[in-house]
Amino acid sequence: MLNTLRQRFNIPPRDELRAWFMQMIDDRVRIITAGLSIKELRAVFRGDPPTEKPNPRYKVITTSFVAHLRPRYYQQAATWFTHTFRLGWFTTFFFVVETITGVVLMVYYIPFPDQAYGSILEIESNVWFGELMRDIHRLGAEGMVLFTWLHMFRTYFTGSYKGPRSFTWLTGVVLLFITAWLSFTGYLLTWDQLGYWAITVGSSITESGPVVGPAMNILLRGAPDIGTGGLLRFYLQHVILFPLIAILVISIHYYKVSREHSISLPAWVEERDDIPADEKKKHTRRIDLIPDLLTHELFLVCVGIFAMLAILYFDLFNSPLETPANPQQTPLDTKAPWYFWWLQGMLKIEPAKILEGFINPVIGIFGAEVQLGRLLDSKFIMGLVIPPLLVGLLAAVPYIDRNPSRMAKNRPFAIAWGIAWIFILLALSYMGLPEFGIETAPATRVIQDLAPEEGLGPLREIPFDELMGAVETEAEGSFIVSREHLYGRDLCPDLAYIPESEEDSDDPQAVIGCPHLTEVFYQFNDRLIEAEEEGGFGTGLNGAGPQMEAVFIIQQWAHNLIRVQPTVEWIDEDGNLQEYHQIYFLHEEGRREH
Amino acid sequence: MKRVQLEIILGTLFVFLSALILISYATQETSRLAEYEVAQEAELIEFGASIYENNCTSCHGDFAQGIAGIAPCLRCEELFDGRIEAIGWEGELEDYIVSVVTTGRQVSTRAEYFGGGSPAMPTWSEKFGGPLRDDQVRAVSAYIMNFQAEALGEVAAVPPPPIAIDSSTPEGLGRAQFVISGCTACHAVSGVSEATIGPSLNGIATRAETRVEGLSAAEYILESIIDPNAYLVEGYGADIMLQTFGESMAEEDFNNLIAYLLTLTEE
Repeated sequence: MLNTLRQRFNIPPRDELRAWFMQMIDDRVRIITAGLSIKELRAVFRGDPPTEKPNPRYKVITTSFVAHLRPRYYQQAATWFTHTFRLGWFTTFFFVVETITGVVLMVYYIPFPDQAYGSILEIESNVWFGELMRDIHRLGAEGMVLFTWLHMFRTYFTGSYKGPRSFTWLTGVVLLFITAWLSFTGYLLTWDQLGYWAITVGSSITESGPVVGPAMNILLRGAPDIGTGGLLRFYLQHVILFPLIAILVISIHYYKVSREHSISLPAWVEERDDIPADEKKKHTRRIDLIPDLLTHELFLVCVGIFAMLAILYFDLFNSPLETPANPQQTPLDTKAPWYFWWLQGMLKIEPAKILEGFINPVIGIFGAEVQLGRLLDSKFIMGLVIPPLLVGLLAAVPYIDRNPSRMAKNRPFAIAWGIAWIFILLALSYMGLPEFGIETAPATRVIQDLAPEEGLGPLREIPFDELMGAVETEAEGSFIVSREHLYGRDLCPDLAYIPESEEDSDDPQAVIGCPHLTEVFYQFNDRLIEAEEEGGFGTGLNGAGPQMEAVFIIQQWAHNLIRVQPTVEWIDEDGNLQEYHQIYFLHEEGRREH
Repeated sequence: MKRVQLEIILGTLFVFLSALILISYATQETSRLAEYEVAQEAELIEFGASIYENNCTSCHGDFAQGIAGIAPCLRCEELFDGRIEAIGWEGELEDYIVSVVTTGRQVSTRAEYFGGGSPAMPTWSEKFGGPLRDDQVRAVSAYIMNFQAEALGEVAAVPPPPIAIDSSTPEGLGRAQFVISGCTACHAVSGVSEATIGPSLNGIATRAETRVEGLSAAEYILESIIDPNAYLVEGYGADIMLQTFGESMAEEDFNNLIAYLLTLTEE
């Protein structure tokens, strides 16, 4: 019976059983690892040389589908940290992080306008690690965009786009666009004021295109304005279309690097003739994927994950969530995502004004005569013509730059050109900030700075006890802006309260008066007086001097609710009374800090 | 030590540190979720308060104290105690408020609140042509529910005038009719009402004599009640006043009401 079984399954006699069994396991391991035996695996982990010939570690790369994308080795100098800074590697790392956290978030997210914002709140308030997932996803998105830009500049400055790598550079430019677009489409999904208006402002550029502009706009938004259709379109682009395109293009980009021309060597290692042969040999010796590069990559994964978690744990980054999208109300400070500030800055350039009284030739187009300045002065030119031209210029860099040398000293013009572009982008980005070039009336500005439409601000940081205390003062919560200097005088001298931070302590220290409120009121007071002195409220009726009055009213609205109303009134040149006020409700349990 | 080994050791260290952070997160997660929910509720109330401020004050009062004759108090016990039982609502009070705000009221459910005419309360949900999204309606109800903890016993700010009915004279009956028909909701009369939605009726008896040539005071008043748009008082627009009194009131009621109004001679 036993013998029949033995014969049936080809099992060797007892004394050979152990070897036979080990061999069987070894075969399985070789299949799973695509060529590495158990002994070889042990050698890999110990850092020992290969145990067989030919090197079985290379076999993995030729036989395994996944490992087929990987290089067998890089030359030593190409792996120097100061040469690549691992920028491209980290961009890929972020892409993987985004994919994983994105899939988790997709489980809870609902891409419909009336439920999207609620589902984000649900993720934050009702899902274990939900906030962490969202924060990682957001941080990873910012990181991916940032590292893509840095990677591009590194490649440019080391001249790595030259020669056989010119097509790789081209795919990189495509990836720059894909990365920005992935991040941009994700912006809308939270369906809050930030995302809604950033996308509205951003996509409105397409509208200015000739002939097909309005059609493009409808295609993108799904309707004249972003609604259910628009959100769904952006969602599908964000979770399916562009991730798939990104995987494809990243694969092409990376395959070129890993299997075709490798990471570029530092220019001097490649080009200098005076390097001693043994040193050159050292710099170009092979660093194998298994185990060196792979270990290093796993190490970088550990570093990357730890760094992200640490940044979030110590509250250095928070994914923003503003109030729900309101198509009827444009926020005062509408801002595109930071990597599009340069574009927003470009839209603020007015060629008509710059060219006026300078060179402003009149040119004929289709029989009509137009001033050059006027012609350039449009959202269409600044938003739809020039940016693609710039992208085209970027893509054409390897074909324009015919200088064969990669060494910085041999290409001063290219280096200067790159540095100039960094400054141009920074300057344009600065111009894209909402503060730049847009005047806000002083009353609006002062009150907006006190309590921004979104997020916290000095007003929201006042402890609730102080607001309650202010209502009980002699002034009954109405504090009038004064031109006399009242510094050092507390608004509610009779108040004493235990701050929340002291509540659990054994010896709680009471706060006397209302220092936070007093500080905020004086800020309100001083900035208004300052604005008045600078002429922000005009010169009054017939130039009789500015007349401005302001009051800061704090009222108790419910046992746990305070109503704050800063009001500014002034007389304009025509003798009309102008008024600006805002109303804020502050709940006892409302968010005071992050 | 070889670089590979160093990286393995450091990598393991980072994995441990990451795990520590995650464990630390996990221990705080329950309280974080609870805190977030409280803060979220607080923000909802703040949000609701500003929506109320922009949309509801003209009928329900600045402090949600209600306006006599027009709309009920929303911070009073009458809402929190027994209102849903009285109306036969089987769900939660908060859902009742959401429901009323969403659909509004075609007709007031209580004679003492005339509301804004027809409809008594407009629909507020954007689903039915109103201006508010669902989350905004929810926020308004959260704001109102927040008053439950300190609900007022009596309507505080604008109490309906207590009137002693003198049923022996037409003027006395007319005075009662004036209140019952909801006129106090919009018209001011010394000692009875201080509303300012329509013109004050103090001194109406004297003014009505000379308002329109060929019409006596009584005829002018009757005409103005039945067809409010016939003669508009300066400063008040058309279609503010209900135009159905001609059908809903009997001739006798009119006679009493006019008899009462003709006693209002003092400005």
